[in-house]
Amino acid sequence: MYNGIAASRGIGIGSICVIAEHELKYEAKKIEDTESEQKRFNEAIEKFKVETSEMAEDIRKRIGPKEAEILEGHLVMISDPTMAGEMSKMIAAGQCAESAVEAVCDMFIGMFSKMEDELMQQRASDIGDIKVSLLKILLGIEDIDISKVAPGTVLVARDLTPSMTSQIVKENVVGIITEVGGKTSHSAILARALEIPAVLSVPDITTIVKDKDTAIVDGTEGCVYINPEGDILSGYIIKREEFIKKQAELKKFFGKETVTADGVGVELFCNIGTPKDAKKAVECDGEGIGLFRSEFLFMDNNHMPSEDEQFAAYREAAETMGGKSVIIRTLDIGGDKDIPYLNMKKEENPFLGYRAVRYCLGNRDSYMIQLRAIVRASAYGKVKIMVPLVTCVEEIRAVKEMVSGIKDDFDEQGIAYDKDIEVGCMIETPSASLIADLLAKEADFFSIGTNDLTQYTMSVDRGNADVAYLYSTFQPSVLRSIRQIIEAGRNAGITVGMCGEAAADPLMIPLLLSFGLNEFSVNPVLVLTARCIISKWSKEEADALTEKVMALSTEAEIVAALKEASKE
Amino acid sequence: MVSQKITVTNEQGMHMRPASVFSQAMTPFASTVKINFNGNTYDAKSVMMLMSACIKCGAEIEVECDGADEQDALKKAIELIESGLGD
Repeated sequence: MYNGIAASRGIGIGSICVIAEHELKYEAKKIEDTESEQKRFNEAIEKFKVETSEMAEDIRKRIGPKEAEILEGHLVMISDPTMAGEMSKMIAAGQCAESAVEAVCDMFIGMFSKMEDELMQQRASDIGDIKVSLLKILLGIEDIDISKVAPGTVLVARDLTPSMTSQIVKENVVGIITEVGGKTSHSAILARALEIPAVLSVPDITTIVKDKDTAIVDGTEGCVYINPEGDILSGYIIKREEFIKKQAELKKFFGKETVTADGVGVELFCNIGTPKDAKKAVECDGEGIGLFRSEFLFMDNNHMPSEDEQFAAYREAAETMGGKSVIIRTLDIGGDKDIPYLNMKKEENPFLGYRAVRYCLGNRDSYMIQLRAIVRASAYGKVKIMVPLVTCVEEIRAVKEMVSGIKDDFDEQGIAYDKDIEVGCMIETPSASLIADLLAKEADFFSIGTNDLTQYTMSVDRGNADVAYLYSTFQPSVLRSIRQIIEAGRNAGITVGMCGEAAADPLMIPLLLSFGLNEFSVNPVLVLTARCIISKWSKEEADALTEKVMALSTEAEIVAALKEASKE
Repeated sequence: MVSQKITVTNEQGMHMRPASVFSQAMTPFASTVKINFNGNTYDAKSVMMLMSACIKCGAEIEVECDGADEQDALKKAIELIESGLGD
C-alpha cells in the first residue's frame, strides 16, 4: 500500500496507464538571426493562446466555469507585459526562444514558490505548466492523447497538467494517481469536479508501477494498492459499490427539508471560517450558518481588523445566506489560538486562562469594534451574536449591555441594524452547563460546543496522548451534560443548537434528536449525510435507544450500544 | 504625479483574479500606474508583478499615477480597490 493525499473522494479500481514525461531537451545556443527567432517565439505564443483558449472553452462546457478559470489564468499570465516582454528582451539579446522561456518562467516560479501562501504556490505550478506547454510547442513535441485511453483506466503521472486533465473522458478514467500536488492543486480540483477518485503526492509512483498493473485508488482515505491480493481487491469492490450507492442516496436529500422519520423538523446549519465558505454552505444545501468563526479575520492579519473590514466580511456572509441565520461567534482566542500582534501573555494554563469572552471583556475597546461590525451587518440578513466560553451570568449580561449601547448609538446616528438581533451563549464549560437554566433567562439561544465541553468536563487535554483515551463525547458525564443543557433551553423556550463535531456524528444524532436539539451545525460537506441519518430516526425509536443508553455506566458500553443500533 | 494610500479589503488580497482585474483596468491608461508596498514599487499594469508583491487583505498600499490622465487613472484604481476588486 502506498499513501498520498486524499484529493477526490471515492474508490477507483482499474488498469494503469502511465503517462510518460517527455524530456524537454534543447541546445542553448547563441542566436545570430534574432529577428526570425523572435518570429518563431511569437508563433509559439500564439499557438499556446489558441490551444489554451480552446481547452478552457472545452472545460467550461464539460466541467464548469470555475474549473476553466485555471486555464484562463494561464492566458492572463502569458499575455502579461512582464512575462512575454522579458522573454522577448532575452531573445533580442541573442538567446534562443527555449532558454528565454525557461529562464523567465523559472524566475517567476522561484519568486512565487518562496511565498508562504498556498494560492501563490499554486501560481508557481501554473507557471510551470505554461513553461512545459511553451517548450513542447517550440520543440514540436505532441502530448499523448489521454482522451483515447480505454474504459477502466487509472491514470498515473508525475503531475497532471491542465491540458492533460482537459482531455480526460470521465467514462473511461476511474482513478488518478500523481507524484505531486495537494488538495487545492488543479489536478485535485478537476478530479473532484469530474468525480474521479484521486490520490496525489504518492512518492515515486510513476517508477513503481507499469502499464496494465491493477490499481485500487482510495480517494477517501488517500491510499493506493498496486496489484492487490485477492481479499483486498474483493473488499474494495464491495466498498466501491457501497460508496456509489451512498452517493446516489445522499443526492436525493439535496433540496429537501431536514425531518425525522416521523416528520419532526430540525434545522441543519453549517460551520464556516470565512465569508467565502458561506457560498460552500449554500452549495452544500446548508440551511443557515450555525457557527461563523470570526478568528480568521484576526489570525490572517498583521493588525487588528477595523470595524469596516470586519463589517464587510460579516455582511458578505449575511448576504450570501440571503435571510437565513448566520450565527457569528465573537473572537475566541487564547487557549491554543494565539494572535501575535495582540501580544498576549504566555500562560501556564492557557485553557483555564485569559481566553475568549474573558479576553474580550478585558479589552472592551477592541470587542466594541467587533460587536459594532456585527450589529451593522445585521441590516443585511439574519445575523446573531454568539459569545464563546461563558462560565457565569455576568458575562452574557455584560455583552448584552454593550450590544444595547451600540443599538442606542446607531439609533442616534441613523445607522441601520436589525432591532431583534439575538445574543446567545456558546455552552462549552461545565459551569455553563450546570447553570444553563440561569443562562437561559438571559440568552436568546444556546449553542453547545462539544469539543471544549468534552475537554473541560473530562478534564482532559486531548493533545496529550497519555490521556486522550478519556476524550470522548460519549462519556456518560458529557452526555448527561448535553441532555441537561438542551432541557434547560427547551424549558425556557429558547433554541438550542450544537456546533461541535458531535452534531454530525451518526452515533450521536439519535441521542440529540431524543434530547430535543433544535439545530445541528455541521461541516458543509456533511450536510447531506446528516440529513440522511436524521431522516432515518423516528422520535419513538430515538427515545427508546436514548433511554437504554443513558442507563449504561461506561463509554465503551454506550458506544457499543449505539453502534449496534446504528442506521448508517 | 498623483498618489493615494488605501487599504486592500477584499478577502483574497492581490491574488490571480483580483490582480488581473486590476491590471487589465489600468492598462488602457496612458499614465504609468505603480503600487508602493512594503518599501518596494510594482508595475500595476502587470498581473505578475502585482501578484509578486504578496499584498494581503488588510494591507495598506499606495497607488501612484504619473502621466496625462493620472487623475482618472488614480480615481479608477481607488474605486476598484474599494469595491473589492471583483472578488
